Amino acid sequence: MFPWIYGFHWTPMHIAFLTIFGCVIVAVAATVVIAVRRTRRTLTENTHEKLQWMSEFEDLPLFARACRHQMTGETPSRTCHREFDCRKCSTHSQFLSRQSPELAPATADQAVYGLAMPLDRYYHRGHTWVQPAENGCYTVGLDDLALRMIGKPEQMELPAVGSTITAQGTGWLMKKGKASLRVLAPMDGVVVEQGTGDAGWFLKIRPVDGTANLTHLLRGAEVRPWILREIERLELALSPNGVGFSLADGGELVDEMAQQAPEVDWDGVWGTILLQA
Amino acid sequence: MDQQLIPRGVQRTSFGRFLAWLAPWVLLFGVGLYAIYLCLAQGLFHTNMDNRFAFGLWIYLDLTVIALGAGAFFTGFLLYILRREELRAVINSAVVLGLICYSGAVFVLMVDVGQPLRAWFTFWHPNTHSMLAEVTFCLTCYLTVLLIEYVPVVLKNRKLRQIPRFLVFEFQLHKVMPVLAGIGTFLSFFHQGSLGGLYGVLHGRPFAFRETLGLWPSTFYLFVISAAAAGPSFVLVTTWLVQRISGKTVVTPEVFRLLGKISGIMLIVYILLKAIDTYVWMNVTSPAAGFSAFSFYNAGSFGSWILFAEIVLFGLVPAIILLNGNLRKRSGVLVTAAFMVCTGIMLNRFVMTIQTLALPTLPFDAVLSYMPSWQEVATFLAVVAYGMLLYSISFRYMTLFPQEKDISQSSWR
Repeated sequence: MFPWIYGFHWTPMHIAFLTIFGCVIVAVAATVVIAVRRTRRTLTENTHEKLQWMSEFEDLPLFARACRHQMTGETPSRTCHREFDCRKCSTHSQFLSRQSPELAPATADQAVYGLAMPLDRYYHRGHTWVQPAENGCYTVGLDDLALRMIGKPEQMELPAVGSTITAQGTGWLMKKGKASLRVLAPMDGVVVEQGTGDAGWFLKIRPVDGTANLTHLLRGAEVRPWILREIERLELALSPNGVGFSLADGGELVDEMAQQAPEVDWDGVWGTILLQA
Repeated sequence: MDQQLIPRGVQRTSFGRFLAWLAPWVLLFGVGLYAIYLCLAQGLFHTNMDNRFAFGLWIYLDLTVIALGAGAFFTGFLLYILRREELRAVINSAVVLGLICYSGAVFVLMVDVGQPLRAWFTFWHPNTHSMLAEVTFCLTCYLTVLLIEYVPVVLKNRKLRQIPRFLVFEFQLHKVMPVLAGIGTFLSFFHQGSLGGLYGVLHGRPFAFRETLGLWPSTFYLFVISAAAAGPSFVLVTTWLVQRISGKTVVTPEVFRLLGKISGIMLIVYILLKAIDTYVWMNVTSPAAGFSAFSFYNAGSFGSWILFAEIVLFGLVPAIILLNGNLRKRSGVLVTAAFMVCTGIMLNRFVMTIQTLALPTLPFDAVLSYMPSWQEVATFLAVVAYGMLLYSISFRYMTLFPQEKDISQSSWR
């Protein structure tokens, strides 16, 4: 095989054989080396959260990836291909130019199946909300569906004051039982204050350059159809193996759902609703 | 118990039932390991092969699983190179099947050679004039490629992906997958072909010897095309079996139909070329060697029915079914046709391996007979058990069918 091995002859066959397989081995090795180097670079540059969200978004079922404009009935069928980041979506801009839903006054509450979904704030698809606060800051909390579903977490890991969070990256981590949950950050910004959740909020965020682009967040008339769809997803995630959509209509979601149904794989259900693959 | 390892959004049977499903395969695998131990520790006299019948059940297994495992390279080629995005629904399963088939084949070859510690000889001192040298190199390289392709499937596991470096590595590997798919296609073309060419160059065995087209005998090309036809059918059949056994719908009917159509197109091309090849062999190659082609079909139980079964029953018939859009819509017919394609390929590899060696090569020779020993059968079954184990574990803990989540969440709508 090799020139230094007994029996090797400089024949075209030997040379062709060596060349072809040498190229194959180099190509395979180079491919793996490139993947390893890119991995190291991503980890060094600390951009892995973006990749994590891209990867998780790809694995979401199509139903969970429905475009916000499909849910409001503005378009019959449309799946999001931009990881729920409408800020770069030209189609979203076109829809906004026709009709732009706005925040309602603080008094305009909306209850959906007993869930309090006040319309004075913006909602992220990962079940967090963002509410403009004083001094150009924004308050971030978990919506009522997530709160009732998860209940009181046993452990919280909030980002330190002064740290930067990015939309769709990790907002904070929560532990409950064996489940470890990653709550998606709804917006970009610097953490200025930590909450406990008891007061209804978890973080106060100041946009990096003073103004926040919240185009990607749901608001106004978009909230009700979205949360109805999320309740459907929750019911399906809770349904027994192979049964499908079978929970009774008309009731309201209770608090501390995990305590009411301990037999359920809550890590799976929470992950599904909080958009974790 | 293992709930946190199962992908979110899909449902699997209880851990206890899963263990019960694995138990018989573990037992079968254990018996096979004992048989392998006997062959490696005490010698190949435990087999019923000899110097005259040097290729037996194991080589037949190798040729068959390598042909059936072609679904991995061909699906990868269609998805990553020709951008048939619909096949993303089965690519992970195809990779696992390919890995099982190729690693099983290499594993059995290691036992067959009998001296696994000297396996490196074949790389260090290859006979570059032998088709088997090409097969050895291609198989080794392609198995490496399949292992690399399997890594992202594993790293996407629900728990493993929580580790940032695994998640990023999986993502980056996924991005270079088209390169690996291209290399896999290149390697598969050569080793599938060389396995066929191996028989086509046997001057001393006019039953197998074929005319040369370009660099290689016609069997080189026939093996490549037949593997490309069988691969998608095998993916189709296994996916259907997964659905039947698990009770879950894992891909949409459109994916089944597409696999059937691809298989049908490749199969009709193969059958056409095989018919021409057989015609030339019967009328030119075999008479030139001094034999009537039909004399080969008067030997023992190897009647001309085999030729009919190979070309018409398990070739032309399933090809016609798979090419018909209306028939493809009937699930039972589609799966039966795909099963027939796989059977046809298995029969073809049987003919090339066993019938070729059984037929006499000298006027005073009788038809050789060969019956595998229990050790050979146990080793064969160990590969089947290994495949069942690896596939079952992969199906439970990894996302082999990305559409499954969508289907399970939309089935009630």
